[in-house]
Amino acid sequence: MKKKESAPLIETRNLFKSYFNEAVETPVLFDINLRINAGEFVAIMGPSGSGKSTLMHILGFLDVPTKGHFDFKGESTEEKTEDELARIRSSSVSFVFQSFNLLPRTSVIDNVTLPLLYHAGVRPADRLARVMKAIKAVGLTDRATYLSNQLSGGQQQRVAIARALVTEPGVIFADEPTGNLDSAAGKHVMEILQNLHEEGHTIILVTHEKTTAEHAARIIRIMDGHIVSDDTTFERRIASQVKELK
Amino acid sequence: MQLRDTVTIALKAVRGNRARSLLTMLGIIIGVGAVVLMTSVGESMQSVILGQISALGPKTVAIWPGKNGPEQGAASLNPDFDSITMSDIDALRRLNTIAHVAPVIFLTGKVSYGTEESDVTVSGTTPDSYINQPIIATEGRLHDEQDELDGRQVAVLGPDTARDLFGNSSPIGKRIDIGNQKYTVIGVLESKGSQFFQNMDERIIVPFETARVASQRSYVDMVGTMATGDPADAIDDIQFLLRRRHHIIPPATGLVTDNDDFLVRSAEQAQEILGTVSTSLTAFITMIATISLVVGGIGIMNIMLVAVTERTREIGLRKALGARRKDILLQFLIEAVVLTIIGGIIGLLLGLGLNAIIVGIASKFLERYIFAVNTIAMIAALLMAAGTGLVFGIYPARKAAELSPMEALRYE
Repeated sequence: MKKKESAPLIETRNLFKSYFNEAVETPVLFDINLRINAGEFVAIMGPSGSGKSTLMHILGFLDVPTKGHFDFKGESTEEKTEDELARIRSSSVSFVFQSFNLLPRTSVIDNVTLPLLYHAGVRPADRLARVMKAIKAVGLTDRATYLSNQLSGGQQQRVAIARALVTEPGVIFADEPTGNLDSAAGKHVMEILQNLHEEGHTIILVTHEKTTAEHAARIIRIMDGHIVSDDTTFERRIASQVKELK
Repeated sequence: MQLRDTVTIALKAVRGNRARSLLTMLGIIIGVGAVVLMTSVGESMQSVILGQISALGPKTVAIWPGKNGPEQGAASLNPDFDSITMSDIDALRRLNTIAHVAPVIFLTGKVSYGTEESDVTVSGTTPDSYINQPIIATEGRLHDEQDELDGRQVAVLGPDTARDLFGNSSPIGKRIDIGNQKYTVIGVLESKGSQFFQNMDERIIVPFETARVASQRSYVDMVGTMATGDPADAIDDIQFLLRRRHHIIPPATGLVTDNDDFLVRSAEQAQEILGTVSTSLTAFITMIATISLVVGGIGIMNIMLVAVTERTREIGLRKALGARRKDILLQFLIEAVVLTIIGGIIGLLLGLGLNAIIVGIASKFLERYIFAVNTIAMIAALLMAAGTGLVFGIYPARKAAELSPMEALRYE
């Protein structure tokens, strides 16, 4: 396994993904070349069916590419076994889903503890302290003993963020995190993600909403499985100023 | 993932669906409950019968006249009811493999004291019978050799018979009627309860010599005796002696021949027969329990498959959070085992509870019927229940473990 000095956190080269249904191939991603460094806040944006979620699933080790290369922390991820991928998921990445995916009728504490059950780094005795720290980070300390179904949508998504934080992962993937929330709750969730980015977390946001994507410093646009643009805030600002001048 | 966490998750899942869990466990509960109950009842019955055999003494040997012994009903209905004669008794007394030869003659006729009557077995036997089946008199005395020599008209009463005839007053010295003869009561026996479903407290014992004279008989209804060494040797000697005296050709092979006009049995043999019965009973119960546990196991498998489908998204989530195949497999497997173990424990308690009720009722009718449990059967039933969970939990657990995290997360 080759390891490069000062390699990007995520690097894909000529990455393709197709789904197969009884020998019928449905190509989803074409020739994706991407570099994301540690500490970035990236939004992957595109309309429904563009392949943005598939890309996130591959980058988050929930799925594997059909072709091409995907290096994580400078290390090739090809030929990793299912258990090795599970280990990377437990230690290096975490997810915030559109539909929260909390365990029903289960307390906030137990929901946030869940990733630690599969995480080798934390002793059972230290779990509660870690969990409470994550719950505090999303401002839900006073709701820690509530059951997940006793919380509002915004609160549930904050619990999901706490769950994503608790293992102190390298990357947090957020798949349409505001999709099921009203605008106020959505704004609050985005503020939390922004704060986490400012604290040094790498955040990869998948969304189809421009306003949500605008929170990110870099926006990668996907259309029909191709990357069509990859802009930083600075580039976007220049572009909009040029537009105004015209 | 630690085992403790897995068990905690399993317990939460079982608690989360209480009614469904209970219904799922029903097969296991009934299976284990039935095993515990049946083996406990068997154990209690065995202790009753073993208690009776050990009360007789393992060296006790009994001889009955007739083709097939007492199993055929009253000895007098048997064509060879008169096969064991007084001279046979004298010959038996000369054998050195047995001692305390106590012939028995059952007297017929009404037993009465004044207006009180009692329908009770009157046996004429020698004082040796008090050695073969150790017993003491709680009041008065037992009859002795002198009573035999003199052929005295004396009687020893069982405690129930004494109460029937005399109420609470002392029967000692009173004269009772047996048939058309008068007997003086000299003692009351200690209580022995029932033996082989016969109330030993309801009887009258008179001297053998007295009974022989009263009945005008030259044959006996039964002979009780005790082996001095190995009961098998004693049986051999008795058979050899009686066959020679009765001109019966011994069997070419085996020990028993249809030509015999008597039957010899030792308490040890009875114990062996009981052992065989108990083994077949155990095999039968094991079969029923196995069927019940298999049915229970199918129920467990069914509900676990439902749980896997219901919790597909949860499985996807756990996998996304880093659960390996092994973690998911173990989670569902342990859930199935926890279900069956809880079912097993409930079944065990249910079986013990029902057994306690049965003991409460049966002890009123059967002396010495006590609360007994077959610990090995209980442990085996619990282990089998857990094993059922393991075997029938594997398929659903594997199905859960093999789900792809992404597809599981998308499952609606």
